[in-house]
Amino acid sequence: MGQTESEIRLYGIAASPGVAIGAVLVIGTEMLKVEKKTIPAKAVSAELDKFDTALAKSMSDVEKIYDMAAVTHGEEAAQIFNVHKAMLSDPMLVEETRKIIKNDKTNADYAFSFVMDKYITILQGFQDELFKARAVDVQDLKRRVIRYIRGESQRQLARIGAPVVIFATELTPSDTVQLEKSNILGFATDYGARTSHATILARSIGVPAVVGLNSAAKVMRDGITVILDGDEGLCVINPSKKSLALYKKRYDAYISLEKRLESIKALPARTLDGKDLALASNIEFPEEADHIRELHGDGIGLFRTEYLYLAGPTEPTEEQQLNDYKHIAEQVGGKPVIIRTFDLGGDKPPVSLSLPVEDNPFLGVRGVRLYRDSGHELFRTQIRAIVRASIFGDVRIMFPMIACVSEVHYCKNVVKEIQAELDQEGIPFKENIPIGAMIEVPSAAATADIIAKECDFLSIGTNDLIQYTTAVDRGNKNLDYLYQPYNPAVLRLIHQTIKKGHQQGTWVGMCGEMASDPLMTMVLIGMGLDEFSVSPVSHLLIKQIIRLVDFHACERSAETALDFSSTDQVQTYLKNLCYENFPDLLRS
Amino acid sequence: MVSKKITVKNKYGIHARPARLIVETAVKFQSDIFLLKNNDEINAKSIMGILMLEASKGTDLVIKCNGEDESAALQQMAQVFETIAQLKEWEEA
Repeated sequence: MGQTESEIRLYGIAASPGVAIGAVLVIGTEMLKVEKKTIPAKAVSAELDKFDTALAKSMSDVEKIYDMAAVTHGEEAAQIFNVHKAMLSDPMLVEETRKIIKNDKTNADYAFSFVMDKYITILQGFQDELFKARAVDVQDLKRRVIRYIRGESQRQLARIGAPVVIFATELTPSDTVQLEKSNILGFATDYGARTSHATILARSIGVPAVVGLNSAAKVMRDGITVILDGDEGLCVINPSKKSLALYKKRYDAYISLEKRLESIKALPARTLDGKDLALASNIEFPEEADHIRELHGDGIGLFRTEYLYLAGPTEPTEEQQLNDYKHIAEQVGGKPVIIRTFDLGGDKPPVSLSLPVEDNPFLGVRGVRLYRDSGHELFRTQIRAIVRASIFGDVRIMFPMIACVSEVHYCKNVVKEIQAELDQEGIPFKENIPIGAMIEVPSAAATADIIAKECDFLSIGTNDLIQYTTAVDRGNKNLDYLYQPYNPAVLRLIHQTIKKGHQQGTWVGMCGEMASDPLMTMVLIGMGLDEFSVSPVSHLLIKQIIRLVDFHACERSAETALDFSSTDQVQTYLKNLCYENFPDLLRS
Repeated sequence: MVSKKITVKNKYGIHARPARLIVETAVKFQSDIFLLKNNDEINAKSIMGILMLEASKGTDLVIKCNGEDESAALQQMAQVFETIAQLKEWEEA
C-alpha cells in the first residue's frame, strides 16, 4: 500500500460528484507496440488471411458489444457500435491495408496500424470536437483488430473481482460499456472533458469522476490507494492517515445521505403538517427530460430554450422546436412543462440576429424586450411551436425579464394572434394554455399584483432579481458583499411577490438558484411559495427538507428572517436554523 | 453520371450516426457513389472517407452517382440527407 511513500495531490476537472476511496486499477495504458517486419512473398496470402480473420472476429465482438450495450446502456448509447461496425467493413481501410501487405510484403498488424494511424492523425487535427472525438473510436478498433491478427486475447474488462477506482489515459467506448458497473468506485482519466465517455458513464451509474489529470495514469500502479473527490476535481494518491480519516468521514456521510435521499424518491414533497408543495425541475436541453420522471416530481418548472438560438447561424425552425417540446411533454408524462421563451440579448445574442453592441447589455434589449422589434419573428415562431406542442401534454408558456404589465399584454396578444392563425390553418392546439411571467426585475416585483392579474402563474428568477435589486453586475468580484441572496431587500421583494400573487389568486413559484439552496427552503415555504423548481441534482435534497419541516414553524422562521437588518444577520440565522432542523443534510 | 448539390443541415454535421446512415444507403447500390466537398472527392461507401470530409453543419456537398442504378441511387442518397436533417439532436451522436 506504499505507506512509506508520501501523499500526492493531483487536480483535474470535477466531472461527476461524490467521493470514492479504494484501490486503483489501471486500464488502457498498455502500449501496443507494432514492428514492421518484411515477410517472404509466399507468406503474403497467409498474412492476408490473418487480416480477414481478425476483421471477422472483431466484427462479431462489436456485434456482441452492441447487444450488451443496448441492454445495459440503452439503444441510443449503443449506436456508436453501429459506427464501429461500419468502420470495420470500410472498403477503404480494408483495401489500403491489403495493398500494403501485398506491395510492401509486411506483416498485417503493421499494415493495419499504419493505415489506422493515418486516419487517427487526421481526425485529431480537426477543429470540430465531435469529429476529433471519433479518433478514440478508430483507436479502439485498431487495438482490437491488431490483437486478433497476433492471436492475442482481447482485454476482458468485465471481470473486475473487487471494487476499484479505474485509472486510464482515456476510456474507449468499448471499454466503458464492458466495465461491470457494480465494482466501479470511480473513474479518473488523463484526458477528457465533461462530455467524454468516462464522464457520461460515471454520471449514469452515479460514481465520482475526475478527468483531465494529465499524466496520472502513467505513474499509477494497480493496488495503490487513492481518494477521488468528484466535487473538487481532486485525486489524492497514497493518502496520509489524516486525509483518509477525513475523507472516510465525508464518504460515509455522503453514502448515508444518498441512501436516505434515494429512499424518498417516490414520496410526495409534503411538510410534516401535511402541506403539499410543487417540486419541479429546471432543464436546459430536451434530453434532460428523459430522467425527470424518475424523480416523481411535478414536471418541468423551467425549460430554458436558449440552446436553440446559440447552436448555429440558422434559426431553429418551428418543426424542430415542436419536436423538442413534444419530446419533453411526452417524457414527463402529463406533468406541467413550463417553457420559457428565449432570454437573449446584447451579451448573448441569437446567432441569427446581428444586434447593436450596447454599453450595458444587462440593462439593454434582452429577454422580452427583444420580442418587439428585431426578435419579433423569432418570438412568433417559438410561440407557434409552443402552442402547437400544447396538445402533447400540460405545456405552459413563461416570459422572461418582464418589467411592466404592458409587456405581458404584448406577449399575450402575440399568443392570441398565433392561436387565431393556427385555427384558420386547421392546426390543432389546446386552448387556454397557461401563461406566466418571470419576476426578476424589481419593478415587476413591486407591481407583482398588477402582473399577476394578467397571468396564470408567476415564477421568481433570483439571480437577476439580486443583480437588479442591489445594482451589482453578478460577475463583479469586488462587490460580493452586496450580491447576496440573503440580502434583506431581496428577501422582502420575494415575500411581496408571493403575497401579491396570492392576493390575485395566482400561484407563485421560484426557478432561480435560491430555490435549490437548502438554507432558504424553510423560509421560502414560510413565505408561502407554492412551487420550487430546482436543478435535478438538488431535487431529492430539497424534497427531504420539505418532508422534515412543519409549515407553521416555517412561517415563524420567515417572519424572523424578514426582520433582520443585514445580510450577515440573515445568513447566520439561516445557518443556525438549518443546523437545528436538519444538520445531517448540509454537505459543507 | 448524375449529381446533385446538397447542404448539411443537422446540428452536429456528418460525424457518427449520420455517416453510418449514408454508408448504409450507398452500399445498397451497384453504382459508384461519391461525395464532393470543394475539391475533395470520397467514396460514399466508406465511413472513414465520409469522416475525412469534416462536413459540419452548413457544408455544401455534391452527391455524384455513376452506374446502372445511378438515378435511383441519387434519389435515395438525397433522401438520406433529408432524414439526417430530421434527426433529433441527441440521436445524432
